[in-house]
Amino acid sequence: MQLSTRHLLGIKNLTKEDISLILSTAGQFKEVLQRPVKKVPSLRDVTIVNLFYENSTRTRFSFELAEKRLSADTINFASSNSSASKGETLLDTVNNILSMKVDMVVMRHSASGAPHFLAKHIPAAIINAGDGVNEHPTQALLDAFTINEKLGKLKGVKVAIIGDILHSRVAMSNIYLLNKMGAKVVVCGPPTLIPIHIKEALNVEVSYNLKETLAWCDVANVLRIQLERQNQVLFSSLREYNLTYGITKEVLNSLKKEIVVMHPGPVNRGVELDSDVMDSKQSVILQQVENGVAVRMAVLYLLSNRKN
Amino acid sequence: MKLLIKQAKVIDTSSPFNGKTIDVLIENGIVVQLSKKINSKADQVISEKGICISPGWVDVFANFCEPGFEQKETIQTGAKAAAAGGFTDVFLIPNTKPSIDNKSQVEYLKHKSKKLPITIHPIGAITKNTDGKELAEMYDMRAAGAVAFSDGTNSVQSAGLMVKALQYAKAHDGVLIQIPDDKSINPHGLMHESVISTQLGLPGKPSISEELMVARDIKLSEYTDSRIHFTGIASKESIDRIKKAKKENLKISCSVTPYHLFYSDENLKDYDSNFKVNPPIRSASDRKALQKAIMDGTIDCIATHHHPHEKDSKVCEFEYAKFGMTGLETAYGVLKTAMPNISDEKLVEIFSTNSRKIFNLPAASIKKDAAACITLFHPNKKWNYKIETIQSKSQNSPFIENQFTGKIIGIINKQQVFLNK
Repeated sequence: MQLSTRHLLGIKNLTKEDISLILSTAGQFKEVLQRPVKKVPSLRDVTIVNLFYENSTRTRFSFELAEKRLSADTINFASSNSSASKGETLLDTVNNILSMKVDMVVMRHSASGAPHFLAKHIPAAIINAGDGVNEHPTQALLDAFTINEKLGKLKGVKVAIIGDILHSRVAMSNIYLLNKMGAKVVVCGPPTLIPIHIKEALNVEVSYNLKETLAWCDVANVLRIQLERQNQVLFSSLREYNLTYGITKEVLNSLKKEIVVMHPGPVNRGVELDSDVMDSKQSVILQQVENGVAVRMAVLYLLSNRKN
Repeated sequence: MKLLIKQAKVIDTSSPFNGKTIDVLIENGIVVQLSKKINSKADQVISEKGICISPGWVDVFANFCEPGFEQKETIQTGAKAAAAGGFTDVFLIPNTKPSIDNKSQVEYLKHKSKKLPITIHPIGAITKNTDGKELAEMYDMRAAGAVAFSDGTNSVQSAGLMVKALQYAKAHDGVLIQIPDDKSINPHGLMHESVISTQLGLPGKPSISEELMVARDIKLSEYTDSRIHFTGIASKESIDRIKKAKKENLKISCSVTPYHLFYSDENLKDYDSNFKVNPPIRSASDRKALQKAIMDGTIDCIATHHHPHEKDSKVCEFEYAKFGMTGLETAYGVLKTAMPNISDEKLVEIFSTNSRKIFNLPAASIKKDAAACITLFHPNKKWNYKIETIQSKSQNSPFIENQFTGKIIGIINKQQVFLNK
């Protein structure tokens, strides 16, 4: 089996079969990661550059670990300590790196569509590690992997995505993926943080009522309030946000069923999630991180064309 | 020098030969004879079956980037692009560096363009440095030859300042040109806000930011009894407002770009930065409303919004790409291809007659003893827009390799002849 695409630019461009293939391959890699020797030789002699034009801890480490577990050679680039800070263009930087015989590019960038732009101009396989407010496909894949692991299915699962939808590439990719796999999605947050055309554009339901949404869902994927992206006033205060849309232990305890709480990290404790929720057994945040490595191994492996 | 145009159909309602196919003899830039057949010898003969001639065409909003951004365009290269696109008269926006916000800048453009085959009409800035804070010396610029006033790509945000500018310009019956864009709504928008912008994860500029400014400026024009020309109209709602204002005989006119009549936001799906323009390319239903407004006369004229950019400003991440595309050379082909049923008379009206009236330019009629200011075009000729034929210094156009129906043959103006190959 093969993916229908050369790059992973977004979930938007994947078929249902692609998603199933990535998830099942990730299952195999997860098993590898439980072994005493966690390394396989699948990507020996493949060189991968991790190009991070935007800050990242979790995603960057996760990709780097995934690459190392697959025996790939890796180089890392962060824009703050590189030629980008000297004014070099994205295309020049990437072409310079590629001339050193690099096979794959993992890129995070603050501009939506940056990996799509790159894909038009360079021959290497590109994996989008987050572009602006467009997509973050590996996050959606690892979220789906985690839901599937927890609930045994994706089809028919009710997922609420809560918080700052407007600035969230995680929300976008999750919505595309969950819709393709037959889950039901509701987005919930203050109206200023929800794109005005989202219902029509992405085929989701919109709710402004947190309690109702939580009562409906099986899984609550809570998003980070992206303080760094708020270039205009979108809500009055963090305190008010927490009081209205923050997930607290009380609200979870008042529900009839025990829902799964997810978060792509990093968490603003006491803003979108209270500490006691984050540290409770309902939260699968650390499992998400663990699964991230397996999912990224699957993506890299499937896009590398080095299958035996 | 004698120039003979053979068998050209005259499209000019002010000429007694309107609709007739005739020969025209031009001597030293003056039309000396018009008749069914002229046998006189000439130094140059233009003879092509099916060509039309009309009063020279006008572009009311273009950027030649000089002074300040000569890597994008110069007055010389911009003039060539204009001539290739059939324009004898071009209004230049003041967004240069330094801005065209005083008499000497206006004189510089006038002087620099003296020998060119096209006539350049500088648009003076409304505010100093086009930054929307202090009124520029409009009377002085007017006296030096500024055709109208505008802050160009920076639309005037303050209503209070706009009132003063409108009142000030009234003394000489001046026209203020405005791109309607309320920047307080989604100031970081990169494209039309729609289902498509949501799917692309690109911040959108909603139609309402355009409509609000149209509504506001109509009110201000009414209050001051002074003239406003909106350019780059892109939304159906703006058209509705303008139509209503015109019915009430307010002093409002407007123009549209050819590309807004051709494309819709669907074309942005590939993040092609050539489509990054302001005002943004809106939905297919907006496009339909714009085309209809051309036919019913709500839209008065064409503005190319020719914004050349060197490669580095466009071949980059969508967010970092500069706004604008070139448009002079493709204007006619784009319009005629987008609206194949438009009549030649209507075309000449929106490319020439109406803008000449609104901005008090000479009528450029094709009649005996008049100075020849003529655009030659061929309504049925098919052609490809090829990169190697581009006259502009820049190539930021999504139309490259497009096939069009309707080709410009050339222009005659200021005793010069420019013909496309």
